[in-house]
Amino acid sequence: MRWYRVPLSALVAGLLLYAALLGPFTSYMARKPIEEKLGFVPSIKLIKPLSADQKELAAASLVIKVLIYFGGVVGQLPDRVVAQPPDLQGMSRLLHGAVQLDPYNMDAYYFAQGFLTWDAKQFKVANDLLDYGMKYRTWDWYLPYFAGFNNAFFLKDYAKAAELYKRAAELSGEPLYKNLAGRYLQESGQTELAIAYLSALLKGETNPSLKKTYQVRLAAFREARRVELARDLYKRQHGSLPASIGQLQQSGLLTSPPVDPYGGSFYLEPDGKVATTSKYAFAGVGGDKNHAAH
Amino acid sequence: MKTIIGITLKGIFRDRAFHGIMVTALMFLLILPAASLSMRQVAELSITLSLSLISFILLLLSVFLGGTTLWKDIERRYTFSVLSLPLSRTAYLMGRFLGVALFLVLTAMLLGAVSFVMIKTVSIIYPSERPLLWGTIFTAVLLDACKYVLLVGVAMLFSTVSTSFFLPVFGTIAVFLAGSTSQQVYDYLHSPSADLLGPSAVAAGNLVYYLLPNLSAFNLKVNAIYRLPLSSSGISLTLLYWVVYLTVLLGGSALVLARREMQ
Repeated sequence: MRWYRVPLSALVAGLLLYAALLGPFTSYMARKPIEEKLGFVPSIKLIKPLSADQKELAAASLVIKVLIYFGGVVGQLPDRVVAQPPDLQGMSRLLHGAVQLDPYNMDAYYFAQGFLTWDAKQFKVANDLLDYGMKYRTWDWYLPYFAGFNNAFFLKDYAKAAELYKRAAELSGEPLYKNLAGRYLQESGQTELAIAYLSALLKGETNPSLKKTYQVRLAAFREARRVELARDLYKRQHGSLPASIGQLQQSGLLTSPPVDPYGGSFYLEPDGKVATTSKYAFAGVGGDKNHAAH
Repeated sequence: MKTIIGITLKGIFRDRAFHGIMVTALMFLLILPAASLSMRQVAELSITLSLSLISFILLLLSVFLGGTTLWKDIERRYTFSVLSLPLSRTAYLMGRFLGVALFLVLTAMLLGAVSFVMIKTVSIIYPSERPLLWGTIFTAVLLDACKYVLLVGVAMLFSTVSTSFFLPVFGTIAVFLAGSTSQQVYDYLHSPSADLLGPSAVAAGNLVYYLLPNLSAFNLKVNAIYRLPLSSSGISLTLLYWVVYLTVLLGGSALVLARREMQ
């Protein structure tokens, strides 16, 4: 009996079994529940001493973990309807942890701003995080710009928004932000404010997952703006507000029905404001359901 | 002593552990694709990854080379033949220490140059809004090298008292972790939330803080990554602290080694 028969057959059998196992194993890992995928992260109080002189790396890896997870959720979805909401609470927890490790990490603030507002409806959490970041990133105009938008669009605090936009304009040396904001800092300018904000973000975005979320949201606001323009035209022609979007279509002012990329349907509120049942966010995600953690 | 430094350097280049650790340096090639994952701070992430990798490689080198150099000599009984030469034990210890320290500084400079290429490439592909401060990045690498030279001093001290390599290796890792966090503990002990601990616990904490090397002082990563201004007086004080602490470590090591019985 040749000496190598046993190890060789063990090796061949092992390789064959490995090839057979790869398929089910990979699909098991891919189908793991969201909570398991985002993973258990120990308390930041523990990570801080353990990461020794690598706190910035630890923070960056937390942010990338969230980003890869989010990219996976967005990537799996069909273009129009977002069926499975991401674990916003888990994402928020990790990003808050990241800025405790590295309060300068811009990716964490930028990404948190993206989902804490529209998706999680946690405006105060988002603004508190931005305030915390502004204490460190004193040169950065993005943070006051984001906080200004949150105050104007979501919280309707126009005085505070104007103050923050002024700060963003001073830091960026770009008076445009101040002027742009001035035009829209009123209830009637909300849709245009959102379009200006999202267009600015989309312009500098390279990450495909985020780009996709901005494009979808921007498309939704552009549709709303189309309805607003038709509504204003109707009011000028008839002297009164239209009762419904259907009425705008019947009068020929709205050529095609507005399409909400989030899967909701647009409607007119009694005061004429254009709204959508999706609230410009992932389907099934409500502020009460997903309290983002501090 | 120069001969010992030369022998130490030659020994390191032949060491298999060194070869293994240097393979880790291949991870520098991953910095470009990894940094591009960032949304708003690609250049910053490339600096973070470069400096972290340098730190990690220097940590491995300082622990394994610093912790095993003396131990190997004693274990293989090379010390008998070396010490029969007209050479004091102190000169032998200093030769070994300076050999490893010199090697660490050379490695830091080499890895720093590789980092420069990687960060520069990233910043050309993804231009940053704020200019990179190369002087700060260089200072951060230099102080990192100083930190790990200090750690080699700690490993040498442990090597002189220990008969196995467990204390030098694991003791040095423990000192690294404790020394990197001692400032945080000190800050906590002097905050109002530490009132519950009682004065004796605070005094004990203070004592440990003064005994351990304060390694967080050598960490300038955040300044290098986010272009925060450096304090020249702070850096001078840190370098003075480094010289004084290293003198104490090496003086102690020489004393212990001089009294040690070689069997």
